[in-house]
Amino acid sequence: MTTLVTVQDVAKDFRLDGGGHYLALKGIDLDIRKGEFISLIGHSGCGKSTLLNMIAGLDLPSGGTVLLEGETIKRPGPDKMVVFQNYSLLPWLTVRENIALAVDEVMPDLSKAEREAVVEDHITMVGLAHAAHKPPLQLSGGMRQRVAIARALAIKPKLLLLDEPFGALDALTRGNLQEKLMQICNENELTAVMVTHDVDEAVLLSDRIVMLTNGPGSKIGGILEVDIPRPRQRLEVVHHPSYYSLRSEIIYFLNRQKRVKQWQAKPHKVLARHGLEKVNLDLGFIPLVASAPLAVAEAKGFFAKHGLDAVQLVRETSWRGITDGLLDRTLDAALMPSGMPTWITAGGHGGDPTPIVTALTLSRNGNGITLARRLAEKGVSSVADYRDYLLRTNREPHTMGIVHPASMHNLLLRYWLASNAINPDRDVHLQTLPPAQMLADLKDGSIDGYCVGEPWNVRADREGHGFPIAGDLEIWSGHPGKVLGAREDWAMAYPNTHIALTKALLEACRYCANPEHRDELSELLSDRRYLGMKAELIRFGMESATEEIREASGHTLFFGAGVNRPSRSEHLWIISQLARWSEIPFPRNYVEILERVCAVGVYSTAARELGLDDVSYQRGGIELFDGVPFNAEDPIGYLNQLSIHQDFSVAEIPIGVPRALAS
Amino acid sequence: MTPVPSSKINPANWWKQNRKAILPPIFGIGGFLLFWQLSSSLGLTKLEGPLSLWTDERTRELLLYPFFDNGGLDKGLFLHTMSSLSRVAIGYSLAAVIGIGIGIAVGLNKGLNRAFDPLFQFLRMVAPLAWVPIALVMFQQNQPAAIFVIFITSIWPILINTAEGVRQIPQDYRNVALVLQMSNRRFFTKILIPSTLPYIFTGLRISIGLAWLAIIAAEIVMPGTPGIGYFIWDANQNGYVSEIVLGVIWIGAIGLILDRLMAWLQTRIASGR
Repeated sequence: MTTLVTVQDVAKDFRLDGGGHYLALKGIDLDIRKGEFISLIGHSGCGKSTLLNMIAGLDLPSGGTVLLEGETIKRPGPDKMVVFQNYSLLPWLTVRENIALAVDEVMPDLSKAEREAVVEDHITMVGLAHAAHKPPLQLSGGMRQRVAIARALAIKPKLLLLDEPFGALDALTRGNLQEKLMQICNENELTAVMVTHDVDEAVLLSDRIVMLTNGPGSKIGGILEVDIPRPRQRLEVVHHPSYYSLRSEIIYFLNRQKRVKQWQAKPHKVLARHGLEKVNLDLGFIPLVASAPLAVAEAKGFFAKHGLDAVQLVRETSWRGITDGLLDRTLDAALMPSGMPTWITAGGHGGDPTPIVTALTLSRNGNGITLARRLAEKGVSSVADYRDYLLRTNREPHTMGIVHPASMHNLLLRYWLASNAINPDRDVHLQTLPPAQMLADLKDGSIDGYCVGEPWNVRADREGHGFPIAGDLEIWSGHPGKVLGAREDWAMAYPNTHIALTKALLEACRYCANPEHRDELSELLSDRRYLGMKAELIRFGMESATEEIREASGHTLFFGAGVNRPSRSEHLWIISQLARWSEIPFPRNYVEILERVCAVGVYSTAARELGLDDVSYQRGGIELFDGVPFNAEDPIGYLNQLSIHQDFSVAEIPIGVPRALAS
Repeated sequence: MTPVPSSKINPANWWKQNRKAILPPIFGIGGFLLFWQLSSSLGLTKLEGPLSLWTDERTRELLLYPFFDNGGLDKGLFLHTMSSLSRVAIGYSLAAVIGIGIGIAVGLNKGLNRAFDPLFQFLRMVAPLAWVPIALVMFQQNQPAAIFVIFITSIWPILINTAEGVRQIPQDYRNVALVLQMSNRRFFTKILIPSTLPYIFTGLRISIGLAWLAIIAAEIVMPGTPGIGYFIWDANQNGYVSEIVLGVIWIGAIGLILDRLMAWLQTRIASGR
């Protein structure tokens, strides 16, 4: 496809009345192909309308260029027609006269009769023949917008620009008009750029969605390809598997922008007191049972006890929010899946490799694999049944949900599938979903099952949408669950704070581990600040596993011998599994990475200062349910011996030398 | 609009629908006249009551025969009015044409606006009477001087409203013109004028009142020309109080009619936006 519009390094600087400047946009690069429908989405004031106006030529960029078919756009013209937000119809003219005004102006070469035919055609196209003689003020908002669209299309523009075209309309009218516009665009193979702040509208109409970050100096924060086939129906697209992930991607982006804005609005001075370099910490977590130590440390005053008297818990909705929060330094430290420190360190998030340290493992176990109830109805009751079921129905798509590529859920689920001769990439499709979404997807049958922490397995079972097929105790009892993670540069800049934080959380872990506190924990976590759900749904382990297993290793482990100390061999196992599934290349410098990720020294200091016995413990080797021992001496050899794995690569990960955050 | 059955108009129904619009003004005006008559009869004021317009023979004659013309300045009220109105027509038309023209220029051009706005605001504040001596010096004749006074008094609301109207053309309409690459001439006729029309009419309606005020001022100070202003001046010179009262009522009535005329034009031409 040929490029119609090229936006090259465009910036827009507004001169303010007071004499200052406002940099609205910066470094915008975008190619718009012929026949493509592009949406610009972002918060108010992010400059999306400004960008549209620059493509329209109504505004000129203060840096960079906008090209239409290779020529710089210097002024507005009918080849790039705009449908304005408030319709911009001339109230003293009728519908017909409004359209005729444009046609007469732009197509003077046509005969009068031909021009009239064009006008009538387009009035009919938008279904307004009955109102052609009325002035716009006698029409409803939806009808007026249809006139504006007809006027724009009547002059046959190369590019149609729409500025929040349906923003002022009621939901029903909006839906109808969206379908109408989609139909017109398809039939006429129009190229269109639309500004919107309606996420569903963007997904429904667009081929690509351009997300803009907050101003000043807004940039393109991401471009999403919408792979839903055309023609689309408004009521059908919601069933397409990509729909919700696209939607949640945009909503995540917008929420992230909002959070950054809120964070920027607060003063961010480093408060040093009680002999600590920084006591005002923003700690990220997502609402899970495993976040109990953070909630306890806050509610029971363990943070304050260790001098951290200005800790704030920041509730994120996804692990991605945690990753981004650490990367852009809006979070000091966070609860994270145990695979995340090595994953970010090795650049698995897609950005520059950024060293992350973990000084504390906060929880072990507490996860499970749930399959949909409808599979049980088809006779699936074991993993062998499931494998047969997959073979029987291999023409249908089979999706299973995971919460994050770097979480143990992904690694355990893949390991479990692969060991049972199910290829987790070919036989099924693993999709990253927010836990709450998984339950909904399980209910409406769009996924086969998922691997996730509590309370989502208990809930699926209780609500009758799924059944547990395997608990993590059967796969790897005592596997690391969630860990405390922080940037290495942060940890080096605030070493005593890091130790104090580890101490506070370690003490909270001990509190959580006491069985007498379980009901209190459920009650605490049910608070809206944390999980915000009924206390009886918050349980710390496999409610539906056999009595025997529950008694044997019980619930989520928060504390105990060898529970909390970061283990290099476990993280190496994680690295090897991440590499096995090509989430990261296998790092040639894995010894250095492990040395830097596992802040064993911080843990030891914290444990010693708390008077806990640290040294006596030594965990055994790692061996999962299939009995294949993990050889920490030769991880590559271990990987090669596994029958199912992706074509992993081995590479040096450039993580530089350890450097403290410049204050 | 109330749908009126076209075949037959029921008087009872008509009265029902319109009495709320008719009765209050009748009571209001009637009450005022009664109060006036009473205060005059009771001797509270030396001013004669409204009944004197009929009881006084001179005013009764004037009321009954508005069209007589005895030559010179001895004319009926209607003829006086007509000569006043013709002066107003000339001065007002000039003010409208020039005011709208300058108003558009000033509205379109920020520089011009900055240059002349203080001058306009200053001149606008000068009372019609104050213009009379200046006008007389400028033109040396009563007729053109009177027309000038009308012109200079009534131009400001037209000019200022037109300029404001041009400035208030919504950016959306301008954008439409820009995107369609309209020529200046087409922009002027297709967008600027229709969009500004309501403002222009507001200016015109304010100005017609001012023009009518100005003519009285001009004629009173420039005696010797026929007109309703001269009529009052003459009555004053001769001490005919009821004639003055008649003249005043006459002026008010004409002013009211002119204003209603403009209002009607306004709704006819500049409605529907």
